[in-house]
Amino acid sequence: MNMRIAAVVGLIVCLAFAVRVSADETCMSPYMAKIVGQEDFVYVWTLGVEGLGDGQDKLVTVDVNPKSATYGTVVHSLSVGGRNEAHHSGLTDDRRFLWASGLDTSRIFIFDIHTDPAQPRLARTIDDFAAKSGGVVGPHTSYALAGRMMLTGLSNNRDHGGRTAMVEYTNDGDYIATHWMPTDDDLRGAVKSGSFADGYGYDVRALPRRNVMVTSSFTGWNNYMRNLGELMADAEAMKRFGNTVVVWDLHARTPKKILDVPGAPLELRCAWGAKNNYCFTSTALTSKIWLIYEDDAGEWQAKAVADIADASKIPLPVDISIAADDDYLWVDTWNDGTVRLFDIRDPHAPKQALEQKIGEQLNMVSQSWDGKRVYFTSSLLANWDKTASTGGDVQYFKLYGWDGKALEHRFSIDFVKAKLGLPHQMRFGAYALYGKTKPATVAQN
Amino acid sequence: MPRVWLWLALALPGLAVGSEAHVHPTPTVLAPGYFDLDFAPPTVGSYVLPTVRGAVDGQVLDESGKPRMLHEFLGDKVVVLSFIFTTCSDVNGCPLASYVLKRVQDRVLEIPALADSVRLVSLSFDEIYDTPTVMAAYGKRLRAQGFDWVFLAPRSQETLAPVLAGYDQWVQRDVDADGKPLASFSHILRVLLIDRAKRVRNVYSVSYLHADTVLNDVRTVLAD
Repeated sequence: MNMRIAAVVGLIVCLAFAVRVSADETCMSPYMAKIVGQEDFVYVWTLGVEGLGDGQDKLVTVDVNPKSATYGTVVHSLSVGGRNEAHHSGLTDDRRFLWASGLDTSRIFIFDIHTDPAQPRLARTIDDFAAKSGGVVGPHTSYALAGRMMLTGLSNNRDHGGRTAMVEYTNDGDYIATHWMPTDDDLRGAVKSGSFADGYGYDVRALPRRNVMVTSSFTGWNNYMRNLGELMADAEAMKRFGNTVVVWDLHARTPKKILDVPGAPLELRCAWGAKNNYCFTSTALTSKIWLIYEDDAGEWQAKAVADIADASKIPLPVDISIAADDDYLWVDTWNDGTVRLFDIRDPHAPKQALEQKIGEQLNMVSQSWDGKRVYFTSSLLANWDKTASTGGDVQYFKLYGWDGKALEHRFSIDFVKAKLGLPHQMRFGAYALYGKTKPATVAQN
Repeated sequence: MPRVWLWLALALPGLAVGSEAHVHPTPTVLAPGYFDLDFAPPTVGSYVLPTVRGAVDGQVLDESGKPRMLHEFLGDKVVVLSFIFTTCSDVNGCPLASYVLKRVQDRVLEIPALADSVRLVSLSFDEIYDTPTVMAAYGKRLRAQGFDWVFLAPRSQETLAPVLAGYDQWVQRDVDADGKPLASFSHILRVLLIDRAKRVRNVYSVSYLHADTVLNDVRTVLAD
């Protein structure tokens, strides 16, 4: 490997495995190549807003390499021809393609980010997700497995409630299989360890060395497409949120144990240490950090290990990001626009170490491999987001430096002023992943 | 000396057949495939391995240098196909794949009923350095007497490209500062399980590749 590449990437996965990998670089699949140095780009999957710019969902490419002449600016924007409730995105294990999905239309857009990392192009669109999967809608997480993508669903096309499945595709975008979440009606061989077997879905992560896959649970199309104020006033609808985390046999793709984690457990982040057999999640409605862990007897368990802010004020925890060394966890709360840092060196007793307001609302957080750069975006869902009347700092992409003590603001991009839309999931790109170097001049669209 | 360290001490230097020095840094953590499996794998036949993709055909060279089609080696047996380049010295790269395949060979030899049902195929993607002679020498170090493990060389870059694309095996030859091709590659490790209907039934990479898992999958596919 020439030194240019070695400086940045463990692309031969042996290198990726060798390092104690972790964040949004550390929150990626262990199957994936990692950027261990300076990332060149952050790809922001962005919701279109009627009347704002072209009004379409788009993949926005931000130059984040401080050595670049276009550092801190949008260098490319690729619209996909409509609005789909753009939400999450994920990279294939070889990191050549970025999958980005729409929660409303269930369309999945596969972007080629390797041919020209500065200018992604749309390689394929999957329009038949519901038909191929047997009725799953609302593709959420796109998670890399070996040569495959595992997509979690949020809902189904029969009642648009929360019962759903994971759907497996090749890296090329060809359907492989559907794996339904276990329910009381069909436990699919799983052990129901508590009160719930709701069959809901949201996020997925894997611990390959323990042959474990873990899923969390949110809510169905009927709820996530509804106006947030109306939804929260509807007591019956508010009962239809997920209360489970499911532990799966990764190899067999079969559910093993259903754990009670009440209050809509969202993002899952698993530890990277060779003996750290645990993952974290946060519950949106009950505002707690939960530990999903393998006990000394080899049984997987769940327990609430910390409160996030004052639950009575509905801070609404959203994204979390675990550090590469498993020492700390960033926790975003959407409603108060605040990030909190928890010391998780004792995973059974996290301690809050920092609290800082980032904007009027806050959703996603992604950190570099070394933890020195922390990126934030603001948007949650089109019908849940705050409006400009809330204040001027609602829809943004922001970079902060982190020195282990304080967050230092580096730059912000106002996605409304730039007429781009509502910024959501971030994924990192680098020329060196593909044996490339930055051209002398990066073309701007 | 534990098995894995013996392998690394004896096999790694020898694997660099006719190669120039290779500069991948040595990782400090070895992949799970070098050790005992850290979990009880699902029981043979208790799970489903859905078809991932069809196994594509393409031109290759056998160890004697004779042009062959890849499909000549598929169809009659369950095949474990590994994409490698022989000059790879990353212990968690191609040497891991060859180590795991050798362990599969060892295990199959202990189960006579499987011997006629399994073939191992190591196919190089290095069209410059991995000649049939090099592949034959590489194979000689690994293959047990009479075992069905074939070592194939690429015929040309043009014939190799559609095979790699068809199996979703991305490789990138490294170049020096002047753009001159080096003997090394950046790539993502892929080992594939192919059934007798020429369908890819599983894909393994560094985090999950292990002889016990592969063997369980072989037996599960054979029980279809």
